Amino acid sequence: MAEKIISIEGLSKSFGDHEVLRKIDISVQKGEVICIVGSSGSGKSTLLRCINRLERQTNGKIFYHGKEIRDVQREINEYRSKVGMVFQSFNLFNNMTVLENCMCGTRKVLHLSKEEAFDRAISHLKKVGMAPYINAKPSQLSGGQKQRVAIARALCMNPEVLLFDEPTSALDPEMVGDVLNVMKELAQTGLTMIIVTHEMAFARDVSTRTIFMDKGYVAEDAAPSELFTNPKNPRTREFLSRYLAG
Amino acid sequence: MASGILLQALPETTIGWMFFLAKKYSSMFLQGTGITLYIAIVGTILGFILGYVVGIVQDMKINKEDNIIKKIFGNILKEICIVYVEVFRDTPMIVQAMIIYYGMNQSGLSIDPVPAGILVTLLNTGAYMAETVRAGIKSIDIGQREGALAMGMSPMKTMFHIILPQAFKNIIPEMANTFLTNLKMTSVLNVILVQELFMAAKTAGGTYYKYFESYLVIAVIYFVLCFVFNRLFLFIEKRMAGKNDYVLAVEYMENQ
Repeated sequence: MAEKIISIEGLSKSFGDHEVLRKIDISVQKGEVICIVGSSGSGKSTLLRCINRLERQTNGKIFYHGKEIRDVQREINEYRSKVGMVFQSFNLFNNMTVLENCMCGTRKVLHLSKEEAFDRAISHLKKVGMAPYINAKPSQLSGGQKQRVAIARALCMNPEVLLFDEPTSALDPEMVGDVLNVMKELAQTGLTMIIVTHEMAFARDVSTRTIFMDKGYVAEDAAPSELFTNPKNPRTREFLSRYLAG
Repeated sequence: MASGILLQALPETTIGWMFFLAKKYSSMFLQGTGITLYIAIVGTILGFILGYVVGIVQDMKINKEDNIIKKIFGNILKEICIVYVEVFRDTPMIVQAMIIYYGMNQSGLSIDPVPAGILVTLLNTGAYMAETVRAGIKSIDIGQREGALAMGMSPMKTMFHIILPQAFKNIIPEMANTFLTNLKMTSVLNVILVQELFMAAKTAGGTYYKYFESYLVIAVIYFVLCFVFNRLFLFIEKRMAGKNDYVLAVEYMENQ
């Protein structure tokens, strides 16, 4: 049995009267690549944001290595430095170059030396093919390039888990491939990943486990070979048929 | 005979009078310009600092989960800031000057006109600047904050390393505006006996009863000062915008 990194127990989230997540129970083992799929508004992104504590859950608990994540800013900061996040809108820091973006977290959060931070940044930027652009500002890059830098920036923190919130949804089709390839390579290195995506082929081929969410519930949680070929839940079937037909 | 010489020496045109007054009272105008600049620059810089502090406090979020001390202290601080900004934005600077100068002297805290002038300018600037800073912070996409928080940066570090540098750049034009306003608003400080430009013009104009020409002289001085500073700020803004191109780091190109 692999080591359990994150476990979520009875997680609920409401915005006012609107219940977005209802009693979610998920646990994440080391090395798993989990894809979360489902229609818009099903709560996928909110779940991911709750895991990173960008949203505070209304009810339920999140454990990291068996320890509950409490409402203490210092503990949250430390937890976040180990659970990285890649956003749909990239969120690269506009006041910094590509290199500075990648050195920001290692310098300001992990307090690495300049040389160490630089070496780490370059090695991860090389991995995503963005090392030649270290002097560029985010505004000078294309969407696909920005997202690859954002992935490198997250990797610089040496995260235990990396969360991806629809990383390719804001990209044009030509660039989606580049980003997905980078993610595929990451999956092969054994990094634990949780990916919210609409790329069904990617989810089917890369994930070790696929979660289908519907109306704030986890409707189905199975191996991709199971979920994509023989879905148990009628909602999953309906959703997939629409996707695979289109 | 003596009066004849005097009459001959006096100019006949408006321009002539302006030069005459400017020359005759040059040291007074120069001193007035110096004090005007001094109050405007010191008052504005201190006001900016105050404005940033108040703006950041107003932007601070207090969550339900925070501990009781932070909640109470934070809320009191926020209330003070709200009252301060409201009071100084809703009263004229000339009235604030009178109240602060006479109020302090009357209650035993004796203060000279120039420090009082700086105090009024900085308090006034702080109140307006706080709103500008708040707007500047709000203008930064929420994603910038989330990107920083998500990598474990504390809210404080996020503010200083990510949000403020960007907000600062956005509000430079407004900061320049505030400074120019202050430069001109120092003229009201003559009511608390500050020897700035307006006071100089009033004194110079009184001797020959040539107020029109005297005020024209300081209008020119104000104009030149503002004009020069305006160009300076435009230059700074351009420099801050940064270059449009970047150099590829060829040493990291893949085919090498």
